[in-house]
Amino acid sequence: MHFGLSPMEIHLKRSGRSGCLEILAAAALLATLSSASGEPSAYLDNQRLGGQLLELAGKFPGRVQFHEAGQSLGSNSVWLLELGQGTPQERLQKPALLVVAGIEGNDLLGTSLAMSWASQLLSSKEDTFTGLLQTTTIYLFPRMNPDAADNFFARPRNETAVNRRPGDDDHDGLVDEDDAEDLDHDGLITWMRVQDPEGEYRLDPVDPRLLLKADKARGEFGGWRLFREGIDNDQDEQWNEDGRGGVNLNRNFPYNYQFFGANSGPHPVSEAETKVLADFVVAHPNIGIVFTFGAADNLLASPPGGPSPAPTNTGTIPSSTGPTRQRPAASDPSPRQTPTSLQGGDIPYVREIGRQFRETLGIKTELKGAAEPGTFSDWVYFHRGRLSLAAQPWSPALQLEMVKAKTAAEEAAKAKESSKENKPAPGDKPAETAPKGGPAAKPEPGAKDNEDKRNEEDRAFLKWLDKNAPGAFVAWKSFEHPDFPGKKVELGGFAPFAKTNPPEPLVQELSAKYNRFLNQLVRQFPRIAVRQVKVKPLGSGVYDVTVQVENSGYLPTSLVQGQTTREVLPTRLVLELENRSFLSGSRITYLPPIEGSGGMAEARWILHLPDAKPVPYQIVSALAGTVKGAISLETK
Amino acid sequence: MHLQMKSGLKRAAWGILALFLAGHPVCGADSPTEPASSTPRDPGALSFPALGSPAARKVRVEWNRFYDNEGLHAILAQLHEAFPELTKLYSIGKSFQNRDLWCLEVTAPQGGKASPKPGMYIDGNIHGNEVQGGEVVAYTAWYLCHQYGRLEAVSDLLNHSVFYLVPTINPDGRDHWLHTANTASTSRSGVRPVDNDGDGLYDEDDYDDLDGDGVITQMRIKNPFGHWKPHPDYPDYLMVRVGPEERGDYDLLGYEGIDNDNDGRINEDPVGGYDMNRNWAFDWQPNYIQPGALEYPFCLPETRAVAEFVIAHPNLAALQSYHNNGGMILRGPGREGGAFQAADDNVLRLIGQRGEKILPFYRSITIWKDLYTVWGGEIDWLYGARGILGFSNELWSNRNLDKSTSDGAPDQDAAFIKHVLLNEAVVKWKPYHHPTYGLIEIGGLKKEWGRTPVSFLLEEECHRNMAFTLYHAGQMPRLEFGECQVEKLAGQLFRIRAAIKNSRLMPTRSQQEVRNHISPPDVITLAGPEIKVLSSGRVVDRFFNQVEAVKRRPERLELDTLDGMSQTWVQFIVSGRGNYQLKLQSAKGGILEASRHLPEN
Repeated sequence: MHFGLSPMEIHLKRSGRSGCLEILAAAALLATLSSASGEPSAYLDNQRLGGQLLELAGKFPGRVQFHEAGQSLGSNSVWLLELGQGTPQERLQKPALLVVAGIEGNDLLGTSLAMSWASQLLSSKEDTFTGLLQTTTIYLFPRMNPDAADNFFARPRNETAVNRRPGDDDHDGLVDEDDAEDLDHDGLITWMRVQDPEGEYRLDPVDPRLLLKADKARGEFGGWRLFREGIDNDQDEQWNEDGRGGVNLNRNFPYNYQFFGANSGPHPVSEAETKVLADFVVAHPNIGIVFTFGAADNLLASPPGGPSPAPTNTGTIPSSTGPTRQRPAASDPSPRQTPTSLQGGDIPYVREIGRQFRETLGIKTELKGAAEPGTFSDWVYFHRGRLSLAAQPWSPALQLEMVKAKTAAEEAAKAKESSKENKPAPGDKPAETAPKGGPAAKPEPGAKDNEDKRNEEDRAFLKWLDKNAPGAFVAWKSFEHPDFPGKKVELGGFAPFAKTNPPEPLVQELSAKYNRFLNQLVRQFPRIAVRQVKVKPLGSGVYDVTVQVENSGYLPTSLVQGQTTREVLPTRLVLELENRSFLSGSRITYLPPIEGSGGMAEARWILHLPDAKPVPYQIVSALAGTVKGAISLETK
Repeated sequence: MHLQMKSGLKRAAWGILALFLAGHPVCGADSPTEPASSTPRDPGALSFPALGSPAARKVRVEWNRFYDNEGLHAILAQLHEAFPELTKLYSIGKSFQNRDLWCLEVTAPQGGKASPKPGMYIDGNIHGNEVQGGEVVAYTAWYLCHQYGRLEAVSDLLNHSVFYLVPTINPDGRDHWLHTANTASTSRSGVRPVDNDGDGLYDEDDYDDLDGDGVITQMRIKNPFGHWKPHPDYPDYLMVRVGPEERGDYDLLGYEGIDNDNDGRINEDPVGGYDMNRNWAFDWQPNYIQPGALEYPFCLPETRAVAEFVIAHPNLAALQSYHNNGGMILRGPGREGGAFQAADDNVLRLIGQRGEKILPFYRSITIWKDLYTVWGGEIDWLYGARGILGFSNELWSNRNLDKSTSDGAPDQDAAFIKHVLLNEAVVKWKPYHHPTYGLIEIGGLKKEWGRTPVSFLLEEECHRNMAFTLYHAGQMPRLEFGECQVEKLAGQLFRIRAAIKNSRLMPTRSQQEVRNHISPPDVITLAGPEIKVLSSGRVVDRFFNQVEAVKRRPERLELDTLDGMSQTWVQFIVSGRGNYQLKLQSAKGGILEASRHLPEN
């Protein structure tokens, strides 16, 4: 049992897949669960994660639904948390945000951030919260890949981003036969470097704890080989090339999927976990925004491609005076192949949200984001047509950038302070007079402009670790390695998870930043309403009726890619009338996409309504919700 | 051969073709002669087999009709009951509506040997309306079972290979097409509901059998400026388009139906509405690029079940999938620039060329180049992702109606309908009052016309297509050890050179597998209690001593593939004495073992 509940409760969870799980009695048990593991870690193991979810579900019944959405091959639960009000059918009609964390699984931080946001949201001021949930549904998969997260808590600690599916990574017909080993029994799978003329690495002259790829063009000789810590179990002169597991879930989706790629699985959506997630997205067409903690970044760096004008309403079908048999044409003609970059009309939205993201994290410059094939978030945009945002929750580059920005801000403040005192002459540039300082920003003494920058990030990060998390880099130690008799072998290097998860004291600060960002993001949906109804009696019970539908939200009712994929159904305006009442037009009118911030679309009919009763209507938007009302024909 | 008829088999006893009627009750007839009585005797007991048909039929099936899913299952189940030693019957998965995907595995008993044989996977009916693939696969099972031990060629095939026969991988679509009113082209899909028109409702505007005759035909409406007129010779059922300066009498309004959901459109959201042959993972593209592909590859239970079955059977070397129609032997790739290694294409081209002789109205062609572009097709996944070599056949061609090599003109078909089928294929136009169109006429061709063979040609389709797959199966790798040369180099030092022969067209591993490391390599090991292997390698040129000596583990020599119609030499340098064992393990070529001993002094 992996959860610490009685078998009966486990049974309850399983059967509770479709419905919500109401657990109140377990609250006491939970308190012990969360404090039971000796580490008061900011990172949650699967048991504590389940405990926290259960606790939330118990504390906020009726607003939180908590399901076991599936199970991993390693028999871990894949949890789903749903925040929303009303019946399942009502929740399904509200604009929804989906947050996915821990999909690569080695990023424990994402799970902590997602959980922190859920808790903050639920315990925020009552009316703000209920106000939000009246109009919005939030789905959270706090940890898609619990198998990989297990590795963080196991000893030896071995960082991988794959699930437990056995695999033949080196294609020799044998499965998982050459895993890493903790040779020095320090509880960590780190690295080993072997002095060997065949090696392609050399020691970094600036910080010899680091290795640098020898550049033949610079006349550099190698001399070191680098492997994960372990022995060559299958004697194939490759080290740790076929370890336990598996498939990286965030390489297992159909867009830009790499067949025969590393850890991409036998085919797209081959895994229980990825199938759960894909089926969930398909079954919840109200999801308009997806935020994924993981590779395929489009927030730290602006997505490539030039913005082109957003699609306009003019030219697509306006009202019912013409035939309304056709659905509105996509503004881009159906391409022969999936586009390889974001559609021009969608880019400004992603860029603006990225700007907000960086601002919230407190960084000034764009960072190189991770781009990977077969990611979940790319599938969501390119195949499902939804706004899909992704960023790795933390990285050395991000940390250094945050430090840099903070230092610069402090310096600027200081400079301002001192300039007040000194009253500088106009024209003085504060940047030049600013004192140099801050661990990351401070250049090496005597550094030249042409300094070798190849390892710059690792050097700076290692320096930062020395100060902030000394255990995260293991000093190199000699080791008599049976596979390399007579050769110098050293074990050490960056500890597992050191580059994917920040030192625990930073989690709280990061949570506050991500909470701010997500609080903003969850309010960016399109929101439709009727702006105006124009009724013009033509006599004898005949009316010329026009309905104007406005989008007062931020996003358009569909992205360009939503139209191109045709996966975001067009907004439809349904008049509940008999066919014979229509002299022009029909029951269903499809509206073109409506831009946010006051965009408008209208529909027009000629109706024969001798009894002049109000006409009930319904406006159904895939991503902006449903609006119901009635058109009054009485004119004053 | 005389046998007792089990009660379970009696149900099939009606299935004796009149074609086989013979006047003289003698040997070769299926059932024991019964005492004369006043009731007419079973003509099957009085029949003689024509060539091509098994002499004795333990399981009697009429091959001039279509069977629904349960009917196909009954054929497989009876075969399994009658031939328990040759067959295994199991379900490889469930359909959307929870029907089983039945597979009959057919191979000769192995006498306790667990050695895997090269396997051929054959399925049919992936498109619901393309039913006759089911009969062709069931016929193959029926024929193999009955002819084993009787025809040397069949015994040899079953001794050396295993067939996985799945008559329908779309049982829902099959039953929907057979049991409900449909057209020849609908429904191609399975029955999972899809919102085809994007109104939030599912399958709410299907075709409607307006005149209640059990057939979906066409609607036409009179129009003095119409684009169509009845054919002068076949006015009851053939419409022809008029010329640009001509006035016709009618407009065609599509298949029978009404606007069920009041949205101003007719038949725009029928049952299902996807394409199971666009849901496979290799070169898959989403719905907006490839209509019918659905949300992600293998999101359908049927395609996923087949994929999992294929992945779980690494011995699969060959594949055949049956569609209709057009008389085509199709090979991949489905799209321009799609993965296809030249060596693999060559093997398929050779097999396809033989196929054109076996199937006279068929052309052996490449999908994207000669038909159309297919993203995410079944045989593309089986080849691209698994390296399995095979075809999909478009069963039936109207070229077979008048035995010509060119496609028949519409009025040739019409003449066949009138003079050969005596008008059975058509429903005459009849007036109907349509809620939207007013007075219209309903009539036209029945669903059984056009894409499926007429009864008396269905058996021919079954047999000829099966014959093609048996030829294909016969080209799966067939391995044996050839010559073995042992040369003494010094005291106890020997050089062993062994030849491995592959006497068929197909390699043990296709180039696609080799390039992408899909399957494990073929492995040849040499071991003996008193023998140490010092070096080994594949012999590139045995006259000039070119050997690819392996760097490590010389006792376990890995070979990329064993090419078709060739022999591969391997070399072992060993020291020691006594007995040794050579063992070849090939996922698709099976296992070979030979015990030998080193020469004494």
